Amino acid sequence: MIDACISLKNASLGYAQSDKDLSVLSNITIDLHAGELIGIAGLNGIGKSTLLKSIGGLLPLLSGDIFIDGISVSKYPLAHLAKKISLVLTEKVSGFNLTAYDLVSAGQIPYTNNFHHLKNEHKLIIESAIESCGLTLHQDKLLNELSDGLFQKTVIAKSLAQQTPIMLLDEPSAFLDYASKHELFILLKNLAEKDKKCILVSSHDLDLLVKYCTKLLVLSENNIELINTSEALLNKGFIEIGGGYLSA
Amino acid sequence: MFNVKFRTLRIEVLLTILSKSSIIKFLVLALLFSAGCFLSLFYGGSESIISTELNQYNFIFWQIRFPKTITAIIAGSALSVSGLILQIIFRNPLAGPYVLGISSGASLLVAISTLAGSTFHFFSDFFIGKSVILFSAITGSILITLIILFISKKVKSSVILLLIGLMISQICGAIQTALEYFSDPNNLKAFVIWGMGSLANTTNYDLMLFIPISLIALLSLIFFVKPLNAMLLGENYAQNVGIDFKRSQFFLILISSILTGLTTAFCGPIAFVGIAVPILSRMVFQTARQEVHITSSMLIGSIILLLADALCNSIFKTVALPINMITTFIGAPLVIYLMFRNKHW
Repeated sequence: MIDACISLKNASLGYAQSDKDLSVLSNITIDLHAGELIGIAGLNGIGKSTLLKSIGGLLPLLSGDIFIDGISVSKYPLAHLAKKISLVLTEKVSGFNLTAYDLVSAGQIPYTNNFHHLKNEHKLIIESAIESCGLTLHQDKLLNELSDGLFQKTVIAKSLAQQTPIMLLDEPSAFLDYASKHELFILLKNLAEKDKKCILVSSHDLDLLVKYCTKLLVLSENNIELINTSEALLNKGFIEIGGGYLSA
Repeated sequence: MFNVKFRTLRIEVLLTILSKSSIIKFLVLALLFSAGCFLSLFYGGSESIISTELNQYNFIFWQIRFPKTITAIIAGSALSVSGLILQIIFRNPLAGPYVLGISSGASLLVAISTLAGSTFHFFSDFFIGKSVILFSAITGSILITLIILFISKKVKSSVILLLIGLMISQICGAIQTALEYFSDPNNLKAFVIWGMGSLANTTNYDLMLFIPISLIALLSLIFFVKPLNAMLLGENYAQNVGIDFKRSQFFLILISSILTGLTTAFCGPIAFVGIAVPILSRMVFQTARQEVHITSSMLIGSIILLLADALCNSIFKTVALPINMITTFIGAPLVIYLMFRNKHW
């Protein structure tokens, strides 16, 4: 029996408000393991981002708990958590002379000194992250000058440079071209298999999820299910959220 | 032997952080800075009494020009760095202590405490009087910054935030005008002149408070280099790379408010330096490293105030113009220009 890498215990997720808590997902209990590439599928607004932000420690839980390697997320010191979990979010970053290289190098912030001085060892990691996302030609461009797709790749490279055993990606394939989508998922699959990372990726590209992921987390109304990818096309929830169109 | 080795090592480290061109730019800034100091110290302008008497010259130099030069350097550094911090906290390249109404908030509280002071006579002791004024100026800065921070969570547009800042400064101005209306004529004139901004009202005694407090505030930024760099990415990403965003934000607001409040208390509200200098710094140094921008903002801010002061004094032989006139002439067109061309934001 392998210890769960991420484990949610009766976790209710959402936004705490003064009058009444806005619960998005309630009572989730799942265990996710190292070496797995888990696809998160669900319709718009069902709570995919909320789930990823909660696991990443950005959003306090309404109730229940989330454990990372056996320790509650809320108990981790931030600096420690930064070496465990890296996030790719959907928000934009730009301005202030920030280049693609700057954003990727932010992935090394948990490992550098108080002035974020980049030594050679840090630079090697940053450069290899840039290379594996195919950004070598674009690394010196300002973030404002990047296309949506290139920006997306930059954030993914930042997440790689963070060198964490857990990666959480929120719709990383949204703006990518067709070839890059596949390359991204192949990259993630390799990372999960070879480096034994635990990777959660939400996406609306159900065909890619079915093709590359080892497991699927299907979020539908009133039901959260973790299934093996092989059962996906027979799963009622997955068919409801659009999987039915895949069968052809 | 060891010493030489150590020195080359330091230069190598410096070279990895700064490119050669940046080092040259810093040298040019340092040169301009020295030129500014020279102009402000030896061509003081209006009070250049034609006298060969050494005593009189000494008096002018040490009691008038010297404090004014130091004030220009500190005020320029403090306002620029304060603006830089605000721009990062709000992730808004058009933020600054003056345009967001923070200087007005500081002025208003200074006005209130001055009025209260002249009524209740607690200004008889120099340090108590000054401390009360400083404390109210810093409190005013913090209050307005917190209000703006609260509003910035609700509005996403950086231009709207700017308009709200403008409104807040109008409100503070209106209250201040009402206070002035009811104050006696002696206070009134001092008030109005102070409100125009001046580097000349700071005495050597004032410097004994001005220098140490601002130095402590500026030096404490050493602990916030990494958070500042990470905060450019926004709250979520900063948090994800291990930076406590809320905590850093709290301390940075405190530092920025101390810098603005302090300068406003001694020199009055000085316009546009806080917003324009960090933008200029980002145009000169094409980097996102905030340790570079903190240093260069301090230099550029000092240079601008030193030169602005020299200009104020030399346009008319007999009177010194208010410093805000010059800084507005430099700052306002720059902000308009940047609104049209937003690449360097």
